Amino acid sequence: MELVELPVPQAKANEAVVKLAASGVNFVDVYYREGRYKAPLPFVPGQEGAGVVSAIGAEVKSVKVGDRVAWSGLLGSYAEYEAVPADRLVPIPKGVSDQQAAATMLQGMTAQYLSYSTYPLKKGETALVHAAAGGVGLLLVQMAHNIGARVIATVSTEEKARLAREAGADEVILYTQADFDTETKRLTDGEGVDVVYDSVGKTTFEKGLNVLRPRGMMVLFGGSSGAAPPFDPIVLLQKGSIYLTRPTLVNYIATREELVTRSSAVFAMITAGKLKLRIDHTYPLAEAQRSHRELEARQTTGKLLLIP
Amino acid sequence: MKAIRVQHTGGPEVMELEEVPVRPPKPAEAVVKVSVAGVNAADGYFRDGRFRTPLPFIPGQEGAGVVTAVGDQAKTVKVGDRVAWSGVLGSYAEFVMSPEEHLVPVPEAISDEQAAAAMVHGLTAHYLVNDAHKLKRGETALVHAAAGGVGLLLVQMARAIGARVIGTVSSEEKAQLAREAGADEVIVFTRQDFEPEVKRLTDGKGVEVVYDGVGKATFEKNLNVMRLRGMLVLYGMSSGSVLPVDPARLLEKGSLYMARTTLAHFTAAREELLARTSALFGMIAEGKLKVRIAITYPLADAGLAHRDMEARKIGGKLLLIP
Repeated sequence: MELVELPVPQAKANEAVVKLAASGVNFVDVYYREGRYKAPLPFVPGQEGAGVVSAIGAEVKSVKVGDRVAWSGLLGSYAEYEAVPADRLVPIPKGVSDQQAAATMLQGMTAQYLSYSTYPLKKGETALVHAAAGGVGLLLVQMAHNIGARVIATVSTEEKARLAREAGADEVILYTQADFDTETKRLTDGEGVDVVYDSVGKTTFEKGLNVLRPRGMMVLFGGSSGAAPPFDPIVLLQKGSIYLTRPTLVNYIATREELVTRSSAVFAMITAGKLKLRIDHTYPLAEAQRSHRELEARQTTGKLLLIP
Repeated sequence: MKAIRVQHTGGPEVMELEEVPVRPPKPAEAVVKVSVAGVNAADGYFRDGRFRTPLPFIPGQEGAGVVTAVGDQAKTVKVGDRVAWSGVLGSYAEFVMSPEEHLVPVPEAISDEQAAAAMVHGLTAHYLVNDAHKLKRGETALVHAAAGGVGLLLVQMARAIGARVIGTVSSEEKAQLAREAGADEVIVFTRQDFEPEVKRLTDGKGVEVVYDGVGKATFEKNLNVMRLRGMLVLYGMSSGSVLPVDPARLLEKGSLYMARTTLAHFTAAREELLARTSALFGMIAEGKLKVRIAITYPLADAGLAHRDMEARKIGGKLLLIP
């Protein structure tokens, strides 16, 4: 990743050009950089940002020059300017800063769809959240807690345990010291949890199936330890007629209506003070390399942003 | 008493009618004189050894009859009660010993045949549309084996909810049965590939839910006919077990869900069993659910019943009369 000079993009008929105020750093950016996810070369990385509309195409009606907007899911946000299809832009309300907006588009909407749509959590249910001090984890714990669910969190260090507790986790398991499988069973009197939210994948998937109550749901939404391996579906029966889903954000913001509803729901939590964002690491755009190194080394907590 | 016994696992011929002693009930058991026993796919899996149980054993897990004796701790049933059950191995017999919590009362309006025929297939269809995936009015469901024992009941229940039903069947004759049960569209899969047909019938969008008791033969194509975030409910494997699944496939095909369910997990609590059964019997008594009893065989012909079941030519329920 090198900082270069490029022409400012021109808006096509359905696009708006946005001057970026902040760009979010996500694990998916690493996958594109490495080539695990493919994009034609050369490319500008980054999938998430917030800023101000500086120009619009001839057919654009939903935004105008000067509007504060945010977006996710389009390559090219590690830059001063990006041309974005106008129907992918969502308005940022007054009580939400550009940095907050950039920080929540992927992780905030992910936590929102996981807890409200993929498995609509209910008051009194119990959720197991892996990597609870990670970017999505801290937001998911807060949302689950606000819904009134009991949250059992897994983390790797004491420091992360503290963060998870602050976010509202009822129980925190240091998986480096205790087996989460045994601990979760103990904490639920052997009954198991209603849902497991798992972004870790390979190292947690199979054990996660053991801690679900009958007819519970495994929500596998990432693979930070590697991809979860193929499994025999009969295992789902043996573990108690349980469900598995493997969701991803794009399928939960596929229509303009759903995108706007979901982003508005997250912004409303922020303005109401119900969702605390941890923006602990901001880097100048030129230091994108350092941001990736620190993210990959798992030295960071909360959200990483690049400021162009 | 007379009973079918399996001494070693194998084909239908391993089921032989024998004279077996009736043992007294344990404290929380009842002895039931079986008037009708239901024949289910699972009975074949126990018989051929795919499902394991200690040998020798009496097959069959479903039936209806009258209580003739109770253990000294039994509280919920008494001698003379008409009852039905599922999940009690040993039903291919004149008498069955059942834990009392598996027995449900049969209302007057329901015959023994109807009760025995409805327990496994009817309760299965009921949990599939109400719990495994809570089917809603206006949704589209793909029902494989729509003229099978579960299929015919599932189609009727889905239609009663107001869902659109696309059924798959193997023959014209079965297509007729599925249509009579209320299927909006029927695909004869031996003549037409169900994948392009389902896509065509849903304007390329796919269905909200697939109910699949077939397994291996339909799995891959199912993933291609579901709408975004759709649900695949696997509840059987009449064509063989589904091969291992890479979870990433569910993502690639649109953040899909899958479940592999079985009735026991949807009737585990006594209250749930009773609520589900009374809902089911209520639908039958009101004429909203037709249970199609295809053939009744004498108990001695259990082997023939299994042959007919495994040939998959018959639509509806097979029963044994001891």
